[in-house]
Amino acid sequence: MTSTRRPTAFRLPETEEIELEPDLPEPPLVPVQPQPLGLKRSFRWGSLLVSAATSLIMLWAGFAVTGFIEDLFARSVVLGGVALSLAGLIALTLVAILLREVIGLIRLNALGTIQDDAAKAIAAGDAAAAQQALRHLRRLYGRRPELAAALVDLDRHEHDIMDPADRMRIAERDIVSRLDETAGRVITRASRRVTLTTAVMPAAALDILFVAAINLRMLRDLATLYGGRPGFIGTLRLARMVLSHLAVTGGLALTDNIVQHVLGRGLIGRLSARFGEGAVNGIMTARIGLAALDICRPLPFITRPKPGLAEFLQQVGDFSPERERPA
Amino acid sequence: MASTLIDETRVALGGIGDLFTGLVSPTVRLGVTGLSRSGKTVFITALIHNLLHGGRLPLFNAQAEGRIVRAYLEPQTHDDVPRFAYEDHVAALTGADRAWPEGTRRISELRLTVDYAARGLLARNTHGGQLRIDIVDYPGEWLLDLPLMSMSYEEWAQATLQQSRTGPRLPLAGEFHAYLAALEPEARANESSAQEAARLFTAYLARCRRDDVSLSSLPPGRFLMPGDLAGSPLLTFAPLEVAPGVAARRGSLHAMMQRRYDSYVAHVVRPFFYDHFARLDRQIVLADLLTALNAGPAAVSDLSAALSAVLACFRQGANSWSSVFTGRRIDRILFAATKADLLHHGSHDRLEAILRLVLDRALQRVAFSGARLDVAAIAAIRATREATVRQGGDVLPCIVGTPEAGEVIGKERFDGETEAAIFPGDLPADPAQALDGSMAGTIRFVRFRPPKLSTLPLRTSPAFPHIRLDRALEFLLGDRFR
Repeated sequence: MTSTRRPTAFRLPETEEIELEPDLPEPPLVPVQPQPLGLKRSFRWGSLLVSAATSLIMLWAGFAVTGFIEDLFARSVVLGGVALSLAGLIALTLVAILLREVIGLIRLNALGTIQDDAAKAIAAGDAAAAQQALRHLRRLYGRRPELAAALVDLDRHEHDIMDPADRMRIAERDIVSRLDETAGRVITRASRRVTLTTAVMPAAALDILFVAAINLRMLRDLATLYGGRPGFIGTLRLARMVLSHLAVTGGLALTDNIVQHVLGRGLIGRLSARFGEGAVNGIMTARIGLAALDICRPLPFITRPKPGLAEFLQQVGDFSPERERPA
Repeated sequence: MASTLIDETRVALGGIGDLFTGLVSPTVRLGVTGLSRSGKTVFITALIHNLLHGGRLPLFNAQAEGRIVRAYLEPQTHDDVPRFAYEDHVAALTGADRAWPEGTRRISELRLTVDYAARGLLARNTHGGQLRIDIVDYPGEWLLDLPLMSMSYEEWAQATLQQSRTGPRLPLAGEFHAYLAALEPEARANESSAQEAARLFTAYLARCRRDDVSLSSLPPGRFLMPGDLAGSPLLTFAPLEVAPGVAARRGSLHAMMQRRYDSYVAHVVRPFFYDHFARLDRQIVLADLLTALNAGPAAVSDLSAALSAVLACFRQGANSWSSVFTGRRIDRILFAATKADLLHHGSHDRLEAILRLVLDRALQRVAFSGARLDVAAIAAIRATREATVRQGGDVLPCIVGTPEAGEVIGKERFDGETEAAIFPGDLPADPAQALDGSMAGTIRFVRFRPPKLSTLPLRTSPAFPHIRLDRALEFLLGDRFR
């Protein structure tokens, strides 16, 4: 029975019984989106506990407030009225804050969407993605007076025949890169402050607090600059993104090892141990700022060189009076 | 070979000279390379016009950032070369009976100087932001001569005759073949038979160029476009039936043809190349693929062969400090499929893919040499607008413009006055189909007249619309505006 499977060649167009596998064209390279881990979680007793306790406390607070207002009404209508309107005001502000947080998160996500669309437009030449990204950019920056002229210019090119990647290039050059200078100043200011604060702060615990606050403020300023405008939760979320970005790019390790050796125990460190520590913290802040720049900038660096740590290093120890706060 | 050595030395010496003048007044030599009717003159005109008048070039960074202060045409530098008739071409394009510039019949050049706000420290302190752009325009036919520099008469004759016996050329060369059969190469030289052979050979070349055949590889170029050599004995030779390696008998027809071929190469081709092309900095290769596609796969592969042979004559590669002594190389080269306005922008990717395939050999050579290269579908002056036409549930991407008089699509013949929306057909997704003939009859590209431009009374020069001219400029010259 060996004769049935001799080596044979089939002529392609003429062989009828052949079933070819579909020859799919290779998909263009598009940056990979992080996938959720997909691990099944066990029932979370802890979160149940927290939410139950929170609900109970809220219930108690509600009862307490209503009881308190009723008591006041029993004493005097005027006092009751004042308390009621104060409670109303509190409720209103709570709602407003909540709304602001939600909107902040949505805007932060919009930045991510633009980045995804831009990546598709550049890597795969996807015209629809380019249009989508431009529409989002227009919505994001439509009310900024300093970008108004550039946006009008961008609209003039809308019907030109152009490759999607080239559209992104124009948007980056004319719109987004105008914000970069301010972003650089935001980062410089934050890292200088961190250096100074660490150097003069008497207690170590305090300076951790201050450094964290300055860093969070920097993140928030950067996001606001590029159109994210996050609230408190948004800023925390941004901080988480920045930390994971730093972890991925290995930024943390590099600062810890090399710069600390050079600066912390090197020249500045010899002048003053605290000052060396401050310089290290300042550089760390600049690094965090650069990571935040990557995350917040709606378009990647195409026509402009990506700013590196070196551009901030020399300014970290420069304590000449700060210039005007950028608008 | 001695002459090659001398010429190469001249190139190297010129390169050293360039280094010093380049410090004070940087000059970039832009080589606009393309066979005849590929749109060189229109490209040069549009480029100059857009730079002179600050045209809309969003992707040309220096212009878009407002760093170009002033651009102007310099007085003619060489007294023996005519100036590029930029003003005449613009007048022809924008005149009452808008017409494309006539085919170029002689060489001409132009120097455009651009003052710009320099960014770099060195640039600011040496020349203060000034760039001179030298451009040469010439009949595309002459370009076909460049490969002759490395061929002997016998090699050329054999290749040419072999080519004339294949494909669509055979019926066109009948007359010439018949005369050749009666000719004895080693017989005594006879002026009248040489002239007759040259005449029939020229007639055969001219027939190959007609629109329905559209062949490209037709050297020697001066036979079709003699320029100032019309009637010169330099042009009275033709390929004879001779085998390479066989020495010509003294006084024979073969010897005479060989001598004339050699002096043609020495006195016409070499000076043309070394005077104008040997020291290029940047190069754009214009290829009119659409006309070739109209004529069929034979024309496409002929275009491919002709352009590849021509491009092999140029020196491409990355420059380093030592190129000062060995002669500069072309370090950026753009392969452009011209007349991209004859089809809808949705097909531009496919047009670029076909160009990549057709010029594959040249592209690989350039990529290997280290020069930067790019491929783009461009239209230096865009003659059409775009539209979609709904036809029986199908949406056809069309272009709208005024087809030239005498253009035919289907049964429709145009008079050159009426506007029409044209669906030229779909280019194949697989570029290989452009070469295997399976798309016969599925496409038809129509030539359009130059666009009607709205001229405001105060603006004396209208802006020419274009497709990707700015991207081409940015790629070719963008880095010189620092």
